[in-house]
Amino acid sequence: MKLSLKWLSEYTAVPGDLKAFCDRLDLTGTGVEGVETLGEAFDGVVVGEVLTCEPHPDSDHMHVVTVNVGEGEPVQIVCGAPNIAANIKVPVATVGAVLPGDFKIKKSKLRGVVSLGMCCSQRELGLGSDHSGIWVLPEDTVVGTPMAEVIGSGDTVLDLEITPNRPDCLSVVGLAREVGAMYQQPVDYPLAADVAKLAECTEGADVAEAVTVEIPEDVRCPRYTARVIDNVKVGPSPDWLAERVTAAGGRPINNVVDVTNYILYLYGQPLHAFDFDKVASADGVAHIIVRAAEDGEVLVTLDGERRELTQDMTVIATPERAVALAGVMGGEDSEVTEATTTVLLESASFEHGRTSRTSRNLGLISEASMRYERGVDDNLCEVVSKAAAALLAEVSGGTVRPGVVDVYPLPTEQIELTFRIPRFNAMMGADIPAEFVKDILVRLGCAVEDTAEADVLRVLPPTFRPDLEREIDLYEEVLRLWGMDRIAPTLPGGRERVGTRTPEQLVVRLLNDTLRASGMNETMTYSFAEPGDVERLRLPAEGLGMAVELLNPLNADQSVMRQTIMGGLLRAVAYNQARGVKNIQLYEIGTVFATAEGRKKPKERKKLGGVLAGAMNDAAWNAPAVPFDFFDAKGVLENIARELALPKVRFRALSAEEAPQLQPGRAAEMLAGGAVIGWVGEIHPLVAEAFGAEAPVAAFELDVNALVKNARPMRPYVDVPTYPAVAIDQAFVVDEDVTHEKMTQVMTSAGGKLLESVALFDVYRDAERVGANKKSMAYSLTYRAADRTLKSEEVEAALGKLVAKVQAVCGAEVRG
Amino acid sequence: MAIAEELSALRASTLEAIAQAATSADLEAVRVQVIGKSGTLTGYLRSMGQVPKEERAEVGRAVNEARAEVEEALAARKAELSAAELSAAIDAAAVDVTLPGRAQQMGTRHLINGIIDEVSDIFMGLGYKVVEGSEIETDYYNFTALNAPADHPSRSMQDTFYVRDLSGDTSRVRGESDVLLRTQTSGVQVHVMEDWDLPIYMIAPGKVYRRDVADPSHLPQFHQIEGLVVDRGITFGDLKGTLDYVCKQLFGPERKTRFRAHYFPFTEPSAEVDVSCAVCHGEGCRMCKGTGWLEILGCGMVDPNVLSMSSIDPEEYSGFAFGMGVERIACLKYDVPDLRMLLEGDMRFLRQF
Repeated sequence: MKLSLKWLSEYTAVPGDLKAFCDRLDLTGTGVEGVETLGEAFDGVVVGEVLTCEPHPDSDHMHVVTVNVGEGEPVQIVCGAPNIAANIKVPVATVGAVLPGDFKIKKSKLRGVVSLGMCCSQRELGLGSDHSGIWVLPEDTVVGTPMAEVIGSGDTVLDLEITPNRPDCLSVVGLAREVGAMYQQPVDYPLAADVAKLAECTEGADVAEAVTVEIPEDVRCPRYTARVIDNVKVGPSPDWLAERVTAAGGRPINNVVDVTNYILYLYGQPLHAFDFDKVASADGVAHIIVRAAEDGEVLVTLDGERRELTQDMTVIATPERAVALAGVMGGEDSEVTEATTTVLLESASFEHGRTSRTSRNLGLISEASMRYERGVDDNLCEVVSKAAAALLAEVSGGTVRPGVVDVYPLPTEQIELTFRIPRFNAMMGADIPAEFVKDILVRLGCAVEDTAEADVLRVLPPTFRPDLEREIDLYEEVLRLWGMDRIAPTLPGGRERVGTRTPEQLVVRLLNDTLRASGMNETMTYSFAEPGDVERLRLPAEGLGMAVELLNPLNADQSVMRQTIMGGLLRAVAYNQARGVKNIQLYEIGTVFATAEGRKKPKERKKLGGVLAGAMNDAAWNAPAVPFDFFDAKGVLENIARELALPKVRFRALSAEEAPQLQPGRAAEMLAGGAVIGWVGEIHPLVAEAFGAEAPVAAFELDVNALVKNARPMRPYVDVPTYPAVAIDQAFVVDEDVTHEKMTQVMTSAGGKLLESVALFDVYRDAERVGANKKSMAYSLTYRAADRTLKSEEVEAALGKLVAKVQAVCGAEVRG
Repeated sequence: MAIAEELSALRASTLEAIAQAATSADLEAVRVQVIGKSGTLTGYLRSMGQVPKEERAEVGRAVNEARAEVEEALAARKAELSAAELSAAIDAAAVDVTLPGRAQQMGTRHLINGIIDEVSDIFMGLGYKVVEGSEIETDYYNFTALNAPADHPSRSMQDTFYVRDLSGDTSRVRGESDVLLRTQTSGVQVHVMEDWDLPIYMIAPGKVYRRDVADPSHLPQFHQIEGLVVDRGITFGDLKGTLDYVCKQLFGPERKTRFRAHYFPFTEPSAEVDVSCAVCHGEGCRMCKGTGWLEILGCGMVDPNVLSMSSIDPEEYSGFAFGMGVERIACLKYDVPDLRMLLEGDMRFLRQF
């Protein structure tokens, strides 16, 4: 909403300190989004008359003109505008002028011809968007007049953000009321005086003879009023009117349209002026019907667009055809033109929900629709129509027919509220005097009375404030105008509160800490996925459910919700690699989504995904770069297992069929306490390629719920050994397919209670020395007793048993 | 030559050799040669049987004296050599301390989650619980229960992502589906009011979605932190005090806050909160677009309708709610030039935090 302070000052005092005024508006809920000072930028810009206009000798579109600018000799200017011509008056920026955007006008040469200034369009003067050509000024404009005077200098226009609950503030009068309340100062409302002028220009037969109005469906139109103005001479508006319309952000069109816009800006009541003759039927009467549009009905609106309508939309129609889109825009074939002599003036109230949908569905937002969708007060339609008719008659030389056609099926009733001042103060944590409360409510237009109960008021809010429906709404009004800054800050005193994290949050925090300690960097990727990501990843579909489909995705490759985090992570790997970043360790803990037939809300699960590519570090002076492989990813999971104290952790090899997403032979499943936690491995090179990532990429994806469920918050204490251990290295030669897990199991079970730990320290393959398809696995075995120093015979006996068992079960040979 | 003279010569040559020994190894060689098992001096003790009886005591004394003297010289020389050798070894082991250390590389927290942690810790200190809600919600929890009008533009397919509803229900509002990606964390408020016992002190950080094309200042998915308090006697002053404290914790004790009246459908009265600009301290600059203030969050007293809908008596209880954008805080604190960086996973970006 654009507010001219010059206009506002006619009704209430405007504070001198603009910055303080803007701050006060901001703090009381009317956001100031911009401040524009008109007139300031126009020094050196004057009204000029084009004397001669010749084509530029060296250009096919420019002209060389001489312009009389009042003082001194006429100046020569090169002008590129298509509408330049001799004998027109235009704004001329003379040498030395500075236009908006810090554009300095200098003497220059354009294709060899000297130019001593510039003829300006409206946009070049910062006066709107019209840049179709030079701004041609009215003929009676005086040559040499500074443009600042022509436009109305010294005005400041505020661009205000009006919140959707305040339709009343979409008018100058509404803002004057607001400013009056803000500063507790008087406001002169112009309506009564405007209406009083009507008597002087009323003439002719009663309007009821010329217009009938029918509203078949009440809810669509709570009120419709019509007046008729005869003997209208359509023409340019007087300067004061054009100036007001311009200051409010509109564009002067003609006196009739300008009056409707002026009234709209001033009172917030949208009006529409029909050319009476174009809406009258053969009987000479305009039979107005406010009805639902038919599906597929077509109306060409004022902007020249052909609109296809639906049943939800409301039209103003004659028995023959639709002539306007209710509350949004008039129709082209009934608009007021220079030939119009009789005007039918509509002042109505339309249902806001429908207006809002209509305007949105047609992509057509007008000053009228903006106000109707927030709510226009039906109580004011008629009286504002009087003011409008009187002004229209005044500026167009017309006469207003007596009376009004006023169909008013659904009047909005005033409601009655209670204001309990002590409760208000208790809730705000303030001590605001009753006198202030009453004063503010009255200034906002409420009727306020004391009640039998002390400090309890009876309040009737005005119907132009549809947002004041409950006591709490009144509290807000008083609080914001008292000033939120005047409320002392306190902290709640509640005795029963404690800050806690849930067990899940605690485990997830530990998980994050462990991942970071393992060198992993947390990232975030899109929750959206491309359909087919699961197939592209070759993930087994089992357990993933159906993808959740977006009904209105932004684009096709983000049209479903992700079922895995891996897709996003592999894209992040590719993103890094494409930018020359080779060492990548990323993880994300995030939600994945799945649905199923018959399900309303999809299922959400938290997953942990991780990827490692490149190496932990580039080669350094004291350490080589060790490329990541399966075991780096597995190591991260081992850290997690340790920190979360997961029970009985196992890694089971996954076959190519079980884990097609992974490179066969480098794929495993993580289990804890018998439950599947997730998978780990090296991404299959073909999958990496499908995501533009360069293999090898070690990766894992774990189910966070499974981790949380199996995490043990406490672990038992184990005595720190006091007696020395005996360490023995023992190597076995076994077939390739004997796993470390198997070996460990056998050794642990055969080791007896003296065997404390088994650690693999070497795996060695050599076809000649070890044998083909065989490997040597060297273990460090630690024996210890908790209560004594072991004797060598004891250890030898235990080792002998262990070796025999490994030989028997694993087909191992002892390697010397 | 008499034994005494022999011994004297041996003693002298040995002491000379000890003095000459340049290394611990040389010294050890001298020791072995003279007083080792088959050393020259040891030899005299061994061959004592051949010494005439009357001289034995005399020779024995002289040998022992010589041995004691040699041992003492050996020990002294050894100490000298050890000190020199240790010193040489230390000298040789000196390093360029400016060379990089050997460290296990630590990982990093994502900027957004780092901020969520920071804010959560502040509220935990104030006695709030941290709650998470689901990212897919029904129209009821995201809009209706929060007082949003049925026709509100934010509910349109233009602004909100809707997902296919496979339950066979038809939506009353949209025709196609009333299941959506939550556009605000405010829905968590409603669940908490329905499910928890009073009083309520909670914050709910989480991911939200809006149908904005990703560009430097918009993302279709971002994060909010919702807060809700419902208790007896909660005042607007409590709301101010709480948020003022949080902003100072988050941005620094010198920062000021201001509350601007505003409109939200689920709070009444409502306000937007600004924090004073860090660059100009309220004077007005490019960062704050000349206002001296940076908008940071929206808040208000919980609307009585919202309380009633969750069967809480608004005459007995009152409360406040607030919501802040985490990306907004990230931009204010770190001046992130392009929000899309938050979702790209670029290691060079992530490792800065």
